[in-house]
Amino acid sequence: MPDFDADRKFKQDVLRMAGAEVQTCIQCGTCSASCPTAHLMNPSIRKLIKYCLEGRKEEALKNDTIWLCTSCLLCTVRCPRGIRPKAVVAALKDIAEREGIKSKDAAYELIFQKQIREHGRISELPLTGEFLFVFPQAAVQSMQMGLEMAPRGKISLEIEKIKPEGREEVKRIIEELGGK
Amino acid sequence: MKLAYYPGCVSLSTGKEMDLSTRAVSAALGIELEELEDWNCCGATHVSNELVATGLCARNMAQTDLPIMTSCSICYSNLRTAAKQMEDPDVKARVNAVLTKKYSGASIRHALDVILEVLEKNQDLLVVPLKELKVAPYYGCLLTRPRGVDSPEFPTILEKLIKNLQAEPIDFRLKTFCCGGPIFMPQQKAAEDTAFKILSEAKKAGAEVIVTVCPLCHFMLDAKQKALEQKRDEKIGIPVLYVTQLVGIALGLGPEELGLNMNSVSPMPMVEKVYERMAE
Repeated sequence: MPDFDADRKFKQDVLRMAGAEVQTCIQCGTCSASCPTAHLMNPSIRKLIKYCLEGRKEEALKNDTIWLCTSCLLCTVRCPRGIRPKAVVAALKDIAEREGIKSKDAAYELIFQKQIREHGRISELPLTGEFLFVFPQAAVQSMQMGLEMAPRGKISLEIEKIKPEGREEVKRIIEELGGK
Repeated sequence: MKLAYYPGCVSLSTGKEMDLSTRAVSAALGIELEELEDWNCCGATHVSNELVATGLCARNMAQTDLPIMTSCSICYSNLRTAAKQMEDPDVKARVNAVLTKKYSGASIRHALDVILEVLEKNQDLLVVPLKELKVAPYYGCLLTRPRGVDSPEFPTILEKLIKNLQAEPIDFRLKTFCCGGPIFMPQQKAAEDTAFKILSEAKKAGAEVIVTVCPLCHFMLDAKQKALEQKRDEKIGIPVLYVTQLVGIALGLGPEELGLNMNSVSPMPMVEKVYERMAE
């Protein structure tokens, strides 16, 4: 038995976060046609928006589409209805991360956000290191890039931190404005 | 001209040459930079909650009354987007409620735009004209999207700058195509596919150098170039410079000041060519 209440709430959540104008989507596919990673997406970004409007939560969340978005914003500048498909993707990521739907991509974003929350800034080395615990398959690429960067003095061994008052403020921003 | 400077996290690691060359070129052009007090990460493309992303950027923008300059297109796009979001009184009230210094408005500029403005008035500073140098203008995404300094579809500001340095901008079909950078860690293949298309196209179009305005584009096209060549069995061998590095060469600044030794594909043979052409 489908959970109609949950589906309705899901649609409302997406509209609240990505903008009510998402409802005006005419399914023209300009977003999909503009997307640099469209060929790898299934469902396409157009279809993803349809799923959201139909409240099909499972289908909208359990795929790689939202994680293949590069945030290039071509869809967003081209949509003839003034919808921001990238904001729909962001809303779905937010829901997926909040509900603990596990994927390597969500893990990467959460590690990134944790670094901001704890230090105020990103340091490449601990970011990569922590991600490798979740997704060891990225080790080859990471080693390769490490070997490229280290001799050029571009890998810092220090953890970048802002001042303690600043860190408190950043933590407040993330926690009180609805972060994870 | 005095501006607040927002270096961004990358400037402390993989984009050190972006920061070095930004500071060196600004000094040479008489642009005084005051680094933003205790700046934090803008959230890059990894903070999915829009209100949080706005809050993180607003904290940075509230640190100064000066216009803010950055060399990173991701920071640039995020700060501008946040400034736009903060025009909504409800968003502004919610964000200001958690900020220590309150946000009251900001003006955000990309280094490219600032440099071009100053250069146009000070042509005498160009001591090393980049005669005949074929430059691929690579905009990537976030300099012009969602809204920025130029058209998101057909930007021309980089070409304008390149011509100003007396170099030749090539007709570069993929100039606004995404480099794939934001997903390179978890989605390696997708990211590498798009980056390689750009490199391959630049090669076909006869570029001697690719110029970028974003540290992630730079990373994908420069740091990854060798690995991509090996994987695809296709030689590229094109240096990729930050726009500030290219301008610095034309201003006669030295390789160390511009961090040219930090690039993966060495731009030195290209720099030598520039000097040879100047001597001809």
